[in-house]
Amino acid sequence: MDLFYFPHLAPDRATTHIALFRNVKNAAELRKRIIAAATTEGEAGDAAREEVNFAFIDARLITSRLHLQTAVYQSLLAEAQNGLRTRTVHSEVLWNLNPTNNITEAIRRYGVSDATTSLLVVRIDGGNIPVEEMQSRIQKVVEGELTPLSKLREITDWTTIKKYHKLASELSVKAAQGDLEKETAVIDNIVTIDQDQSLLRDAFQSIVDLNWKAISLSKLCVSTSNNLGTIVQ
Amino acid sequence: MIRQKVYKTSLASLHPSLVASGNTENKDDSPILIKYRFSKGYRHKTLDTTLTKARVAGEARALIRCLRAGVNVPGVRMVDAAEGVLGIEWIDGKSVRRLLPGGAEEEDEGVDETLDDIEDVDHLQEFDISVGEYYQMMGLIGTEIAKMHLVDIIHGDLTTSNMMMRRTASGKPDLVLIDFGLSYQSSLVEDKAVDLYVLERAFASTHPDSEPMFQSVLDAYQTQTGKEWNAIKKRLDDGECTSSVQR
Repeated sequence: MDLFYFPHLAPDRATTHIALFRNVKNAAELRKRIIAAATTEGEAGDAAREEVNFAFIDARLITSRLHLQTAVYQSLLAEAQNGLRTRTVHSEVLWNLNPTNNITEAIRRYGVSDATTSLLVVRIDGGNIPVEEMQSRIQKVVEGELTPLSKLREITDWTTIKKYHKLASELSVKAAQGDLEKETAVIDNIVTIDQDQSLLRDAFQSIVDLNWKAISLSKLCVSTSNNLGTIVQ
Repeated sequence: MIRQKVYKTSLASLHPSLVASGNTENKDDSPILIKYRFSKGYRHKTLDTTLTKARVAGEARALIRCLRAGVNVPGVRMVDAAEGVLGIEWIDGKSVRRLLPGGAEEEDEGVDETLDDIEDVDHLQEFDISVGEYYQMMGLIGTEIAKMHLVDIIHGDLTTSNMMMRRTASGKPDLVLIDFGLSYQSSLVEDKAVDLYVLERAFASTHPDSEPMFQSVLDAYQTQTGKEWNAIKKRLDDGECTSSVQR
């Protein structure tokens, strides 16, 4: 078990519990359980959801402690600003890990699948629940060998990460080829925040917003980017 | 005019319970640099929000593109476009400006430098570059700029203050380009030439007798860019960049 601590965040969001499991035996069952919990209604549903109120992440796709930490942090930020793209702060972690905007893809790739054997279990909360208690709650749902987070490097699947992040043809990775340590360091630094497409979308959206406001404000026909440029200045 | 504030902090800290138990193997308190583009009262509110958002996202995007292309730049650690905050890797090094003769005198921007002023001994010694080997550093500068231009990123504010020297884990000196706040994407020869011209002016105004040094920047740049060099050189020699600097 491990902890992230963000002292500057609201007390109910300052602590994140992390558990890394190897040799997970019940991945298929766990996946079914998560889906069932999400669709059950009423009080029974709430209880079922609380039991699996974690982010379950395929540990092969995480390159480092920092990689997971930034994804958790970006999710906390989104939640604080009412900007979650997915239903919960936990599913948002999966979305933040995936380099594209596709939620289904994020859950399919980074979430638990029937074939998952290495799992990172993440719980964002206020840290009121003691580590031992949290560990036993997690071990009630995951059957596997609890492993220190420092062993993550032995689990990381660099080939798949390169594929998902489209890194194989990038000059940085090519330049480091043959030097495994350097290559993994380069990849780790890139994937830590690789939200290129979502950033692109945000920036594009801003330009559209700005353009539209410029029109409504000045009642001028401003449609070309050149005109927009002069207004910005 | 101050457009943004810069802070040194860390994303997370060690949890109090871990500190108490003496489990300190995880370095969660490693520093990051926070750039805060605060809200400008003189701008219309909606315009302010959208501009800030676009600029933070733009800077993060430029950094990610550079990282992917293998240009030495700080890695991105957090992006909060809505509030105008960008968190990047803390680069532990010294600005090229301070390493070159004539540059150490005035330092009016950036983080508080007073801590560094305790010893003003030969900084270059720390980087295994003796005084006679400025040229090696110039070569690194040329190479990094060329790698950046090859993926069509224009820095927009190339000065010796926006480059830092640090030591890699292997002990080799490493040049890092910083501050992509004015960067943009362009494949135009003109824009690349202007980028180099801005740097040339920065050299000339801050560092005495820098002409031969700048030439070795260009030599390394030429080696790295290859066939695109001729067009850029032509543009640079025309000296017409002057007019377009006032963008």
